[in-house]
Amino acid sequence: MATNILRRAASSVMRETLLTGMLRRSYASVAVGSDIVSAAPGVSLQKARSWDEGVSSKFSTTSVKDIFKGKKVVIFGLPGAYTGVCSQQHVPSYTKNIEKFKAKGIDSVICVAVNDPFVMNAWAEKLQAKDVIEFYGDFDGSFHKSLELGKDLSAALLGPRSERWSAYVVDGKVKAFNVEGAPSDFKVSGAEVILEQI
Amino acid sequence: MAPIAVGDVLPDGTLSCFDAEDKLQQVSVHSLAAGKKVVIFGVPGAFTPTCSLKHVPGFIEKAGELKSNGVDEIICISVNDPFVMKAWAKTYPENKDVKFLADGSATYTHALGLELDLGEKGLGTRSRRFALLVEDLKVKAANVESGGEFTVSGADDILKAL
Repeated sequence: MATNILRRAASSVMRETLLTGMLRRSYASVAVGSDIVSAAPGVSLQKARSWDEGVSSKFSTTSVKDIFKGKKVVIFGLPGAYTGVCSQQHVPSYTKNIEKFKAKGIDSVICVAVNDPFVMNAWAEKLQAKDVIEFYGDFDGSFHKSLELGKDLSAALLGPRSERWSAYVVDGKVKAFNVEGAPSDFKVSGAEVILEQI
Repeated sequence: MAPIAVGDVLPDGTLSCFDAEDKLQQVSVHSLAAGKKVVIFGVPGAFTPTCSLKHVPGFIEKAGELKSNGVDEIICISVNDPFVMKAWAKTYPENKDVKFLADGSATYTHALGLELDLGEKGLGTRSRRFALLVEDLKVKAANVESGGEFTVSGADDILKAL
């Protein structure tokens, strides 16, 4: 009798959690153990740059393969340049811990968002972060879509963007992966959390 | 949509911005332009050179002259989100008159028939460079650049049309 009540209670809590989880975000296709390069084949990102740099580099893009193959990368994604949590908490958490990442042998610390590379560049300069970590623009959202980390933020007048997330990737293999329950949260995707996971 | 032209009625649409209290607002174009003389100029992208170094400053500089010639509103629109437009506007601390409005999803730019695919530059769908002079919702001047140049859409060209 008691077991039945417990079982029903447990399953309704689970159902509620699942439902809330589904309502808040869809599950990413990338997880610990998956290969980020094969999850996003043929996808490229745009390195943050000024227009002049764009012209002289012929607006070249960087493939996901070149970013991750043979390297130890910590990458974090956020909803939008120049927005609150992104500017005031997320990026600073990584820039102020850069020495710790270097001490752990990390080759690149990368910030990516669904913005064009020129906005990313201006934002990185504003945050005085341009020389500290790398910034890439996923201007058409294709990188985040491939990883199923896209999120419609039209309600916040941002349009299609991404979840707030972080990952530790070694030679393309995901070793640690964290996604916030809601893009406005900043609980699991900061530098302190991932430093513990490296 | 055919590009907007002289004699057309300015379509209505919704743009967004942060107001003086830093609250996100959605603004109807008609509410800004009905019964008034307005200048609307569009740029391909915030934080890109011609837009930042020539197009916008030209209108900021000539704002006084435009206003003394009866222009009620000077509006800059771009296919960027309102956070980016706010940050970009802040790079012009001397600006008092030009309003920076965001057409984040390019819907209004599409309604004007002025969209431009800049995907290969990493920008996606944007707006052509243009400047419109609109009196009580009737387009009096429509200066649209054909490519990335800056030859007909500046403040001086609009002043000539007044």
